[in-house]
Amino acid sequence: MICDRHVRYLKAVWIGTIILLLYIPIVSVVLVSLANTRYMRFPHRVWSVDAYREAVDSFTTWSIHLVSLKMALCVVVMAVVLGTLGAMAFARYDWRGRSVFQRLIVLPIFFPQPVLGLALLLSFSAMGITPGWKTAVIAHAVWIVPIVTLVISIRLFGYDVAQEEAAFDLGASRWQVAREVTLPALWPGIFSGALFAFLLSWSNLPLSIFTSGADTPLPVWLFSRTATNYSPLVPAVAVIGTVISALLVVVLLVLRRIFRRA
Amino acid sequence: MSVRPGPWLAAPTALFLLAFFAMPLLIVSWYSLMPPRTFSMLGTPTLANYGAAFSDGYEKPLLWSMLGATLTTLICAVLAWPTAKILHAHAGRAASIITALIALPIFISESVRLFGLSMFLMPRGGILAGSLNAWFDIQIGSILNTRLAALLGMIYVYFPFMLFPLLLGVSLIPEDRLEAARDLGAGRWALFREIELPLAAPGLMIGALLTFVLCLGANAEAAILGGRAVTVISAAIEQRFSYAQDWPMGAALTVLVILVTAAVVWPVLRRVDLNRIIQR
Repeated sequence: MICDRHVRYLKAVWIGTIILLLYIPIVSVVLVSLANTRYMRFPHRVWSVDAYREAVDSFTTWSIHLVSLKMALCVVVMAVVLGTLGAMAFARYDWRGRSVFQRLIVLPIFFPQPVLGLALLLSFSAMGITPGWKTAVIAHAVWIVPIVTLVISIRLFGYDVAQEEAAFDLGASRWQVAREVTLPALWPGIFSGALFAFLLSWSNLPLSIFTSGADTPLPVWLFSRTATNYSPLVPAVAVIGTVISALLVVVLLVLRRIFRRA
Repeated sequence: MSVRPGPWLAAPTALFLLAFFAMPLLIVSWYSLMPPRTFSMLGTPTLANYGAAFSDGYEKPLLWSMLGATLTTLICAVLAWPTAKILHAHAGRAASIITALIALPIFISESVRLFGLSMFLMPRGGILAGSLNAWFDIQIGSILNTRLAALLGMIYVYFPFMLFPLLLGVSLIPEDRLEAARDLGAGRWALFREIELPLAAPGLMIGALLTFVLCLGANAEAAILGGRAVTVISAAIEQRFSYAQDWPMGAALTVLVILVTAAVVWPVLRRVDLNRIIQR
């Protein structure tokens, strides 16, 4: 008979192993970035941060981050606007086409992303539109808008409609109700939706790779440089890009906490 | 209220998805019927591309992708089940931190994580082989640039997509029902098969669906980890679109992937009530 303590121990080992395996590749990127030779031979003879210095000095680093930033911000705006409206139709109101709408809107999530990217690439080309960061924004939005819609819907399902009716009874106008009652209640959902949208767009490879054309967002640059022309600059840029998105999340979470208190 | 706001609120999102999700799929479907190696959409429709897809060996990448997606889904399910059960059983502060730790990598680009994995697995100077050699004097080979490595990469990237829906599914199992079954003398296997599995099925199905579909199109894993060992369907389509300049053939292959996806997604989505899962 295996005793309880052993079971607990085994469970801890299992979870620990899963976490370890998930983080090994991420730690590997950091380790690799600390070399100063073109050919990786771990353990490094010389540990250095030269690659980071080179990355900060290089124009490319800045331009790929700017492309990614510009794309992510556009995606956030589109996802928040369309996602909020979509979520109201998804979860707030009961209407005749609702169940069909609910099923159709999740389809882009259950669709292979690179194939979506390729289909968009062919369509844009057929219509004579040159792919660039704007077409990539559209591609991202097709996938991210449904996700943000679901995120905000989750919040809306817990929302008490009676509050709105009470406000109407007290003589509030439609606009006042939207601004004073509905939006504040939805705000946490919109906040997490926007955060999701930013991070998912910032890190997306499979859609960008086929739809961003001559503009190169960060993940696409990393992907192409790992295949050819490798140097420690590549992992250094990967670390920088990841840290930037992590910092952004931390700053936003702190800001939210401050605003909540106020 | 006199006006019904539902359809009006749904309209912008619905129109956007019609224009940039449904339309491209229609355009691709139409292109797949155009004569081979043409760029116009005005040709006479023909099924020649589909015939050629199967006679010229293009079914192979599709089969590889389907096999990879199936294996990844099964392995992820087997790994995620005990993980979800443990996290659910010990719900609390530690469990939520662990859950967050598992979720975090989703937001780190695939290209970063797969690159890290390839550096870890690299022969000789890789993180694993290099450390073992330097500190323990053990020489090992490498699975990099094999199909196994590509599979490993997919399991690694898509594991969270299986885990989180499953976590939701496992939370749908009422504890008292398990206790009742135990009191009635149900064994571990009976418990799993008769109670846990059917009750967690919605979550499991969503997770499996998500994993399968995402893997079906996955190409970065094969490119970064698989070397030239395997050509997946997305790579084959891209190759048709760009180097071969054969849009109709690429479109026909795309339609085949869409059909496989639809065949898997539609029956599941029809059966699962998303409202019920999301409302939790």
